[in-house]
Amino acid sequence: MNRFIVVMWLLVLSTPLCAYSQDNAAEWVLSPKDTDKVEIDMRAVFKNRILRTGDKYYVSPHGDTFYVDVFRFYITNISFIGERTATLANDHLFDVADTNTYSFIVKNVPPGVYHSIRFTAGVDSIANVSGANSGDLDPIKGMYWAWNSGYIMAKLEGRSNVCKTVHNAFEFHIGGYMPPHNAARTVTLKIPEYFQVGRQSMPGISMTADVAAWFANNLDLAKTNSIMIPGKEACMMADNYSRMFFIDEVSYTPLNR
Amino acid sequence: MKKYAIAISLGMFILFISSAFDTKDDEIKFVIPKGWPKPVYDFSKNKLTSEGFRLGRKLFYDPILSRDGSTSCANCHTQWSAFTHVDHGLSHGINGLKGKRNSLTLFNLAWNKAFMWDGGVNHLEVQPLAPIANEVEMGNSLENIVKALDTAHGYRARFYLAFGDSAITGQHVLKAIAQFLVMFQSYNSKYDKYTRNEPGGEMTEQELNGLKLFRQHCNSCHAEPLFTNYSFQNTGLSVDTFLNDYGRMKVTGDPKDSLKFRVPSLRNVAMSYPYMHDGRFRSIIQVLDHYTNSVIQSPTLAKEFKTPMVLSVQDKKDIFEFLKTLSDKDFLYDMRLRDWRE
Ligand code: HEC
Ligand code: HEC
Repeated sequence: MNRFIVVMWLLVLSTPLCAYSQDNAAEWVLSPKDTDKVEIDMRAVFKNRILRTGDKYYVSPHGDTFYVDVFRFYITNISFIGERTATLANDHLFDVADTNTYSFIVKNVPPGVYHSIRFTAGVDSIANVSGANSGDLDPIKGMYWAWNSGYIMAKLEGRSNVCKTVHNAFEFHIGGYMPPHNAARTVTLKIPEYFQVGRQSMPGISMTADVAAWFANNLDLAKTNSIMIPGKEACMMADNYSRMFFIDEVSYTPLNR
Repeated sequence: MKKYAIAISLGMFILFISSAFDTKDDEIKFVIPKGWPKPVYDFSKNKLTSEGFRLGRKLFYDPILSRDGSTSCANCHTQWSAFTHVDHGLSHGINGLKGKRNSLTLFNLAWNKAFMWDGGVNHLEVQPLAPIANEVEMGNSLENIVKALDTAHGYRARFYLAFGDSAITGQHVLKAIAQFLVMFQSYNSKYDKYTRNEPGGEMTEQELNGLKLFRQHCNSCHAEPLFTNYSFQNTGLSVDTFLNDYGRMKVTGDPKDSLKFRVPSLRNVAMSYPYMHDGRFRSIIQVLDHYTNSVIQSPTLAKEFKTPMVLSVQDKKDIFEFLKTLSDKDFLYDMRLRDWRE
């Protein structure tokens, strides 16, 4: 009899274990009220100040005072890493001049708990050689080189008195997909809080892009103020700005349906 | 009687209109001639339709694409010269500004691996961005073009018919132009008929001798059946000190590519003077004289020219006669490709 009870208990206890050992996908079925969307917010800063174009000035680590006129970059191939890795075809162009680009929604994220987010800062080589693309990759966005095909993956333009150029301008148009000068960079960020997709509230990740990263390694604007073609310099700059991303916080927005 | 006349002229008019707008099924059939390699262009991502082709044709001939409404693609690419800018060494664009290169002939573009003399453009669909954005060509932007088309008469409906969406996008503008461009097909010259043993392909002895010489001296670069192997080569031209054009090196940044330009196809070459990337030669004989007499030695010079090419005056004439058999009237007078002003 005792034996029987032990076996019974073992059976009862092992049931949930069995369920777990099966494909987790079976566990996380969305009910109609749940969402598979994730909202990503992005804001541009210089160190601890919100980035403004035009009249606000900033001081680089090298000590150069400068203004920013244009700041745009691509984030593509977003994936969420957790119990499983979900890669989503998602292309987003952030433009500091266009508040509509400050947040976007990633759809079809499989429900689950994730600890990191990974994306391409830039545009991968496949998209660079596949002709006319749509959405944020449409060449209409002004992030495409006509005479030497390929995407401009990120742009930073501004002015500084140390630049001995027309209008004291500096221009960084970073791109190039052909090895060895591929400027696309993979960025992986740890999500600092518990992050779960697939409940009745939409999870959001608030990110920051810190322009200061462009000026890392004591970048001297008097010497480096124009990068307009693929090459070593563009790759150096891509290395710099691939470190500009930070996650501030995770939030959940209840969905009223 | 008068009624009759009206009825008849009305009937004629309707016939005329409907023939002009008639969608022939063969209109957009892309042909892969027998024995040719597989095209490079991926048709699965841009399915050819009659509506897409027509929209592309309208865009190609419409000066709305340029900033000042003066210049269409056809200004520099006219059909009867195999779609190059005939008689212009360096192409002119808006405000009569001169460009830096000789226009290229346009046909069999679905086989191109890269575009432009230096291969700087990597896909047919993004090719139009180059002239559109160029200050001396069309001086415009795709963004402006989409805005202009959005309010122009008759475009929104055509975009709807072609792509199922009347909201005009840059992507659809480019895909439509590509649908038109891939249909520039040239494979029915006398030479083609000769290789296929068809009537009209009877070659003269001189032409046959030219073909023999061609296969001996030229085929390594201007390879049959497309008459180019799409490689980049330095043919020993002197550098124009005004243009300072070093070709492929500008794209790759590699000194090994200095002075290399893409091998152009020689199909329809008799129609497309002047020649070379800067249009410096006015005749084919001048090109051949360069190959035998004025090749400049340099580290990147093609191996074929390291030792001077030897061709007699007669050889050159024979080669010239052969090259003329590459002119393709079916293509040069293809009614589908002309400006219908629809
Ligand atoms: C002002 C003259 C001009 C205009 C206008 C112009 N082109 Fe061109 N096109 C050229 C020149 C010159 C080249 C070669 C440029 C080079 O290699 O640098 C060229 C090259 C091309 C090629 C590449 C062919 C090959 O084999 O690589 C294509 C395709 C083409 N043009 C299509 C177009 C289309 C489509 C338009 C209209 C949107 C257009 N062009 C408008 C002058 C022009
Ligand atoms: C090593 C490769 C090579 C060989 C061999 C070669 N060519 Fe060329 N050819 C080229 C290149 C590259 C160009 C374009 C050069 C430029 O514009 O800088 C060209 C241009 C031409 C042109 C001008 C075409 C145009 O549209 O501008 C003609 C005509 C021509 N070649 C004929 C010939 C003939 C005939 C032969 C054989 C006697 C020959 N070529 C051998 C590479 C070659």
